[in-house]
Amino acid sequence: MSSEKMNGIKFDPREFFLRREVMVIIVILALLTFLYSSRGVNIILTIFIDFAVFAIITMSLNLETGYTGVPQFGRVAAVIIGAFAVGAIPGRIMAAMMGLPSGLEYASDTVNFRLVPEITALLTTSYLYSLLFLLGSLAIAAVCGAGIGWLISRPAIRLKEAYLGISLLAFGDFFMWVGHNWTGLVGGSVPVNVPDPFRIFGGMRFTIIVLVIFVIAFLVFLYLQKLTKSPFGRSLRMIRDNDVSAGAAGKNIVSVRTQSLVIGAAIAALGGGLYVLYVSSVASIGFTRLTFTFWPWAFMMLGGIGSNIGVLLGVFLLSILRTMIVIFRYQWFGFLTVFGIDPLWLEFTLLGAVIIIVILFMPHGLVPEKIEPMLPKSRVRRVLERRQLAKEGAK
Amino acid sequence: MTPWMASGLVYASGLALTAGSITLLYIVTRTFNFAVASMATFGFYVAYTGVAIYGGLPYQYYPLVFLFGSFLGIVCYYGLNRHLLYRQAAEITLMMSTLGYDLVLLSFIQMYADFLTHTYRLFPRRVTMNTYDFELFGERAAAIILPIIAIVFLTALHMFLTKTKFGVAMRATIENPILAGASGINSDKVYLVSWVISGGMASLGGAFMAMAMTGSPTMGMFTIPLMFAGAILGGLTSLYGGILGGFMIGMTEYAGVFYLSQQLGPWVLGYRMGIPLILMAVTLLFFPRGLAGIPLSKYLKSLSGKKRGDGV
Repeated sequence: MSSEKMNGIKFDPREFFLRREVMVIIVILALLTFLYSSRGVNIILTIFIDFAVFAIITMSLNLETGYTGVPQFGRVAAVIIGAFAVGAIPGRIMAAMMGLPSGLEYASDTVNFRLVPEITALLTTSYLYSLLFLLGSLAIAAVCGAGIGWLISRPAIRLKEAYLGISLLAFGDFFMWVGHNWTGLVGGSVPVNVPDPFRIFGGMRFTIIVLVIFVIAFLVFLYLQKLTKSPFGRSLRMIRDNDVSAGAAGKNIVSVRTQSLVIGAAIAALGGGLYVLYVSSVASIGFTRLTFTFWPWAFMMLGGIGSNIGVLLGVFLLSILRTMIVIFRYQWFGFLTVFGIDPLWLEFTLLGAVIIIVILFMPHGLVPEKIEPMLPKSRVRRVLERRQLAKEGAK
Repeated sequence: MTPWMASGLVYASGLALTAGSITLLYIVTRTFNFAVASMATFGFYVAYTGVAIYGGLPYQYYPLVFLFGSFLGIVCYYGLNRHLLYRQAAEITLMMSTLGYDLVLLSFIQMYADFLTHTYRLFPRRVTMNTYDFELFGERAAAIILPIIAIVFLTALHMFLTKTKFGVAMRATIENPILAGASGINSDKVYLVSWVISGGMASLGGAFMAMAMTGSPTMGMFTIPLMFAGAILGGLTSLYGGILGGFMIGMTEYAGVFYLSQQLGPWVLGYRMGIPLILMAVTLLFFPRGLAGIPLSKYLKSLSGKKRGDGV
């Protein structure tokens, strides 16, 4: 390796374009241009929303599975808690402040459909109210998520890998059924409406939502990038790779794992809350483990377990492919309708096929996890130079 | 028999077979098989296609159900599991690979349901298989026939594992794969046979369970936590533990829901999934290695006065 390359000063276009990240980004941009030219800007915004919500959820999964090594098959549990919290709590607080019914009857559909427009009307009067409502909802979601993450982590820490994965999966399903049956929480089988803090923007609502969720996803990315590069992130990876040696080195395994599960659950709940605010209603039966556990797993595996940038690219690429199947299903797979088959089911085929292909042919994903040195390269070089100087000085 | 007991028996026999299928495969190949969900649903659809199009009783299609499940198992083994086993993949990777296979199968099931609706004008998305059943001794025949089929099948499996040469070779591979390989046992064949048996068991279990619940394309997807709960309750180390665990999960679900809904009201029905999960959690609390971890033979021997290790 030449010294210029090591310094990273010289720009080598061939090497740059052969890097996997860059290649994936080029593919993504090409697909987006194709979609934009054939379907217009709205489809791009839909993809962006899908991308941003699932990026938040998948990054939280990556923190727990990729960095900590917990097989989190119950991602949907934390997402559900975030969604239910936003569906149940902020609206009730507003209703109580406005002197409207705010008890169990808030979620009943006959009351709810008259209450929520009133609250939304109040929010539309001032930007400050809307902003406070948005921030308050997200804070409530994150706090509830952190709480449930801590609760789940109590028994979970002590189980082995496969046991742990299955128990988490079962609890995720259980939460969904609770929401579906307990009408006092979020309406049970009838979806409950959520006050809309974005209504104030009128026709711009959709664009603003995309922007807000995008900014939050980016902040989460920055936070996780910082977190995983910190000493805490290093102890996470140490425990993941060998918990016995990490314990011998003095790491408190239980406490580090618990912290990771709590942070991950809070972030996932944030994602669930944002999704609910975007759809502006909560239908508990929609929070299946297929959508909110298995899709994030597929995103993460395609992107590269343990690599945040890889996860982002994986989410983006798969979200585009998924949307393309939905849009072009009659054009490309129209022959299936001859047999009465709805081509929409190909979404599941795509999901399963991606998981299988990644496992068989690309076990490390599109952008494999990089081995990160403890110190940045420039600092390592400075230390070495100083040592060299000291040696020469001694001579 | 009370109605809950009849459907509970049918349902529990189905869960016992599926939980046994998960356990068998886990013991032999370390693979936690998610695809059991879709294999079970496919089992139901094979039986349903038979009775709805060609007539007759559901029971006469069960050999076909078993064969189809075995076929799905063979496809999974040669297409996926074999490569990963030789690569010595981690447990989580094995589990995820079967999840991918399960989702592909799920999409095929949905397409097949569409196909049935379109071509044969059937309603395959909400099926009550009970309507194809007949009465026997004043009971639904399923409540008598299905447990008998399950017991006969499991006895045959037991005979296969203990009395035939290949069954013994299989058990040897389970006990110690390296030693078994060194003594000339073909592990590839053992893995294949375990996929064949467990695939067939899963499909048969699905066909059983459909006799007690509404059959739908997502039937397996909704019941798989309970199948796993049965396998985990059984301890994942012994085939018989898994079968017993599945049976207990099924029976407690039906008995618990029946009892609680009489005591507390019908709202309990919605939370029925919680009952077996609580049973699993409580059992794991006292016996961390499941039912198979209960030292039953020690208790029995202490009763009969024999010392440990007398007869093997």
